[in-house]
Amino acid sequence: MVDKLNNDIALGVLGISHKTASVEIRELVSLNEEEQKNIIHQVTHDFSVNNIEVDGILILSTCNRTEFYVSADHIDIILPALRQLLVTYKKCPYYNDENITYEKFGFEAARHFFNVICGIDSQIVGEMQITGQVKDCYNFAHHLDATDAVLNKLYNFGMQVKRKVRNETFLSDGTVSVSFAGVELARKIFSDLTDKRILLVGAGKTAELAAVHFLENNVKAINVANRTLSKAEELAEKFGGQSYTLDDLDTALREADIVISATSSDDYVITKSMMSDITRKKYYESIFLIDLAIPRDIDPKIESLNNVYLYNLDDLNGIVEKNLEKRRMEIPSANKIIDEFMLEFQKWVNTNTMASIVSKLKSHLETLSNNEMSRIRKQFPENGYQKEIENYTQNIINKLVRQHMKSLKKNAGDPEKYKQHIELIYNLYEIDKE
Amino acid sequence: MKEISQFISYILPLLYLGVIYVYYVLFTGKKKSWISKTTLILGGLLIIHGFEIGLRHAVLKTIPFSTVHDALSFLGFSILFVYMIIELRLKNRGSGIFVLFFAFILEVVSTFNLSWEPETNELLSSPTFAIHAAFTIMGYTAMSLSALYAIMYIIQNHNLKKRNLGKLFMQLPALNYLEKMSIQSAFMGIVLLGIGLLMGHVQAEAIMGEFWPNDVKVIAADIAWALYLIGYIIAQFLRLHGKKMAYLSIAGYFILVVGGFLIANLAETFHEFN
Repeated sequence: MVDKLNNDIALGVLGISHKTASVEIRELVSLNEEEQKNIIHQVTHDFSVNNIEVDGILILSTCNRTEFYVSADHIDIILPALRQLLVTYKKCPYYNDENITYEKFGFEAARHFFNVICGIDSQIVGEMQITGQVKDCYNFAHHLDATDAVLNKLYNFGMQVKRKVRNETFLSDGTVSVSFAGVELARKIFSDLTDKRILLVGAGKTAELAAVHFLENNVKAINVANRTLSKAEELAEKFGGQSYTLDDLDTALREADIVISATSSDDYVITKSMMSDITRKKYYESIFLIDLAIPRDIDPKIESLNNVYLYNLDDLNGIVEKNLEKRRMEIPSANKIIDEFMLEFQKWVNTNTMASIVSKLKSHLETLSNNEMSRIRKQFPENGYQKEIENYTQNIINKLVRQHMKSLKKNAGDPEKYKQHIELIYNLYEIDKE
Repeated sequence: MKEISQFISYILPLLYLGVIYVYYVLFTGKKKSWISKTTLILGGLLIIHGFEIGLRHAVLKTIPFSTVHDALSFLGFSILFVYMIIELRLKNRGSGIFVLFFAFILEVVSTFNLSWEPETNELLSSPTFAIHAAFTIMGYTAMSLSALYAIMYIIQNHNLKKRNLGKLFMQLPALNYLEKMSIQSAFMGIVLLGIGLLMGHVQAEAIMGEFWPNDVKVIAADIAWALYLIGYIIAQFLRLHGKKMAYLSIAGYFILVVGGFLIANLAETFHEFN
């Protein structure tokens, strides 16, 4: 049995994530809002195993993970029961499969939560979307009155950890999406994109997707040049830009600052001589070319022209890879910050358990004192000092309790010593742990 | 008082080194948490430097530009001051290490050549001299920044062309911004230095009765300024962009500063105060 005092904290997590299961399984086990609401209601109202009840539950269900953070005494008994409930509710056996699910208890579960909220456990290390998802899942549970002091504090510390990790490490820095890498590079050439005109060469999905990121950055115009004018017109209309055929590519290029090319042409669509002429006509203003096509659309010799910057798919992939590597290298720094907060969280938990044990100790000593006082009253009914004896006994109790409190506080930062002291109190005074 | 002034003057390069270290750490991406503190640290350095200039004036009655070495120190101070405004405005600290290093060199050259004798030259108490010198220094400040931004442009352009997208690339501002800063600073430099030189001529006429005194340093300064101006006008006329403009800015600065420095040190001139 895992209880509050022997396993640090009555917290556990049951989960399935991208690390343990394929997307097909993750899809089957994920829970929509309605399902989450039902599970939370069942767990907090109608769910009891051997008279042990759940104090709080958080459900984090995203495309990469479905996790249940549960606060309850004897969490090791609760989690298997929860598995069973989920199997029945979702009508799928995966929650019972130990190969694809994981369970963590006590502070290990808390550390896992911190890893998740910081993006360390994410498929793309350092991604920031998870923070919002955790926030939503907490607000959802809190709104349903399904969070207790432990989960509230865990979330609170989690948000602080995330903030510190984001401010003090580079875990979430640098783009990790190929299409966004183009935008980042463009910003390093032009700084402000609001007065820049984009030209899409090719009207396919690739060019369109890449253009969306530029659109989000409020570029001045997105024009489209395509072999078939009708397709160019269709896409240009979506972006509110102009359309050209490839015969008018010269004109279109002259009006562009950023060119995204993604045609299915076998030959170069933009040649060096074409570009050389255009840069001269543009008075050598900078122009950024992104070649997303395979085979390539833009002659790589263009690179030698002044103020012309050409990047192809491999270059962009290289940027993303480097950024991911940089993020991975930041994990130890993020872990150090998590360690700091783990210690703080442990202190908070210890202070909480301290209040409970101190109250138990005091009540135990007062019972002893009352018993002794009854005996004295019976033995010496005429004794006139009973009130004084009672006061002295109370003073001794207070001093004893204070001494233990002092010592517990001193050891609050050292989980091992703290636990030993708690055990000592239980054993020495024969206090009932329940 | 004099001892305090000397102490601060000698300790100033060390403080510059300390701030350079902070910017170096940021540049290498080691401590993200320091980012929010740079402007405060830079502001602190500027306050100490400003105090040092003020104290020298109080103790020795010198004005910040009465000698070449005083002027160098003031130049470093004003470059840093302008940079701090840019840093605050753009929230970009990537160019800080370059600017600081340049200001540090000026400060080191200045500190170890400072005179500790009280100022006696009456010419230096003339109000037109103060205006002449202040505008000249501000002009040089702007031109120094123009050259620095041009150097950064060349580095960033090289990074983009060669796909060196590491820390240096990430820290330096965008090409367009660097180019704009360089051109605008050059323009400001031409205007401010032009006013400074004009005031010098006005002062020469008032004191010596000659608007264009036959002095090698004065003639050299005027020619260098005129060359810089012509270069700027031609570049604007030809709508030069990018690398060519950057090289032109550096060449102009080289002629102006290095040429001026050589003439000031090698030629016989009335334009000597120490």
